[in-house]
Amino acid sequence: MSALIDRGRRYRSTLIAYGLVLVLFIIGTVHSPDFAQWVNIRTLLVYGSFIGIIGFGQTLCILTGGIDLSVPWTLTGAAVLSSVLLNGSDANFVPVCLLVAGLAIVVGLVNGIGVAYVGVPPIIMTLGMNGALQGLLLVYTDGGISSSPPQGFVNVVTDQVLGVPVILLCWIVVAVIAIVVLSATAFGRRLYAVGTNASAAKLAGVRVQRVLLVPYIVSALGASLAGLLLMGFTGQAFLTMGDPYLFTGAVAVAVGGTSILGGSGHYVGTIAGALILTLVSALLPLFWTSAAGVEIADGLILLGAVYAAGRRARGAGPGRPRLSLPGLVARAKR
Amino acid sequence: MISQTTEGAPPSSPTGVVSRLPRPSLATLMPYLYVAVLAVAILFIEPALIDGPGAVDVRFSAVFPLAIVAFAQTLNLFTRGIDLSIGGTISVTTAILAVSGSVKGPDAYLELVGMLGLGIVIGAINGVVIAYSGLQPFLVTLATWTIWDGIALAVLPIEGGSVPAPATNLILGSVAGVPKSVLCMVALFVVWSWLRHTRFVRDLRAMGSDAERARLVGVRLFTRTVQCYAFSGGCAAIAGVWIAVQEASGSPTAGDEYILTSIAAVVIGGASIFGGTGSAAASMIGAIAYLMIPDLIAAINISSFWSVFLQGFLLIIAVTFSALVIRMRDRRTA
Repeated sequence: MSALIDRGRRYRSTLIAYGLVLVLFIIGTVHSPDFAQWVNIRTLLVYGSFIGIIGFGQTLCILTGGIDLSVPWTLTGAAVLSSVLLNGSDANFVPVCLLVAGLAIVVGLVNGIGVAYVGVPPIIMTLGMNGALQGLLLVYTDGGISSSPPQGFVNVVTDQVLGVPVILLCWIVVAVIAIVVLSATAFGRRLYAVGTNASAAKLAGVRVQRVLLVPYIVSALGASLAGLLLMGFTGQAFLTMGDPYLFTGAVAVAVGGTSILGGSGHYVGTIAGALILTLVSALLPLFWTSAAGVEIADGLILLGAVYAAGRRARGAGPGRPRLSLPGLVARAKR
Repeated sequence: MISQTTEGAPPSSPTGVVSRLPRPSLATLMPYLYVAVLAVAILFIEPALIDGPGAVDVRFSAVFPLAIVAFAQTLNLFTRGIDLSIGGTISVTTAILAVSGSVKGPDAYLELVGMLGLGIVIGAINGVVIAYSGLQPFLVTLATWTIWDGIALAVLPIEGGSVPAPATNLILGSVAGVPKSVLCMVALFVVWSWLRHTRFVRDLRAMGSDAERARLVGVRLFTRTVQCYAFSGGCAAIAGVWIAVQEASGSPTAGDEYILTSIAAVVIGGASIFGGTGSAAASMIGAIAYLMIPDLIAAINISSFWSVFLQGFLLIIAVTFSALVIRMRDRRTA
């Protein structure tokens, strides 16, 4: 029974998120008719793709009550490393991609082992990892990078297939995988079980620690993919390219109605969250010409969106401060 | 970590909430050890960095803003909350002070009091929103951080400006041969040694340990939440004023770097992000250790980028160590 109610509420917050997407889109169209043109929509979807691709791993992390704050420098690392190693030539593209993917898996594994086996709070583990990666990359590049990605790669990334941008295609593939994994696989069910109640999941025979490893690996791989695509999209790799993505993925997940306490939510909501964030950042400059106004409005909308989507994630009542970013440790300790 | 479910039976007496707190352990000594090791290493390699003329004043001036926000962040973490908006508060107060360079005489002191008041109001707003909506402090303060950063940008669009002379005279310099920065740091420790025994801090710890039980023994959750975040805002305002005076100018993004570093300092100090435990003194020692790393790197005379790596590495080491200590203790008591 309670599962049914929970499911109903889950759909409600997802619907609210998609309603918000629609409202924002209508506001844009009313303000300027060009907003609804395919060229503009396509651009918006491409920008949303980066958040969406990062959002897959972040959704998995948050469903288990964790978070991945090492996204910025994993993303930057993938782009910078491949840019330097390729050095403008497509010759070694496949081996370099495999190397980047391998390193991403290592980063995710270290995060996951720290969280699952050692019991380090996810926010701290991934924050430390972010700092460590930043340091390594600064040392590796000596604080600057001059090589540019191979033109062939840039052409592929900025190309379109049947009118659909390659970057958007990547997002669609990621989204399909994410939805299938969460809705139709045993792993997806185990993930929800661990996020809802790790002790109960363990008693039910789920190997909790092994399940907890996966979100961080997926997140690191997603961040690396986003890094490569962003490098192709902007035509260069630079050391600050990951900075905007520190909280973006997590905010998209939260705005999409996934409880930041873990256990409930879905990637379907994260898609809406990514679209909302993209629409807001596209719309605000139309109404406020000053950067300050845009930022203030951004914060207010964020607050409103989180309030609308996250009411379900409330504590036992007003005045009850809850775990800001709970991990399994606290959950299991209870 | 699943084995932690086998924690002892809940205490029967109301005071059990507080008495259940862990005893001081090896973990509480770790931050002092980090500082000692770093200090010995620096003294060994390049003593002038610590005992050179004015070196102590320079170090403590740089540490003070991080120490005071780490102090405040510790109290937030006691309640299982977190305050990301300290970044916005620091930016706003720094920006306002930087555009009021022409203020003279008593008005400047009035302005300083006004900054403190503004910080407290900003924090109280956070507290009210968190306590009233029941939303995650992480998400609420992420939004208010953006809003106040936007306001800072409106006040001071670009870096620059100048700070009122009376404010500079108040904070810089020394009293009876002792640098004011040292006196202020000592004052923070004195404040903590008083505050830690007060009802206020006991209530905050109880809230983080078990909010429901705390409510039942008469802790006013709403009031305490508002007070906690107001305290945090006030501390951030002091940090903002301090930074503006040290830099002799302002930046609309001055506070952003203090968000993650304040959390890092608290964690290096050994406080748990799962509420209830920790000490603000240890957090401030953590801040000192964190900022000694660049000194060590300078002493070794290698690329300063290594300090970013080492800071992230220290964070992971510190948190892994305290996680292992907790696991060992739980295994003993189980």
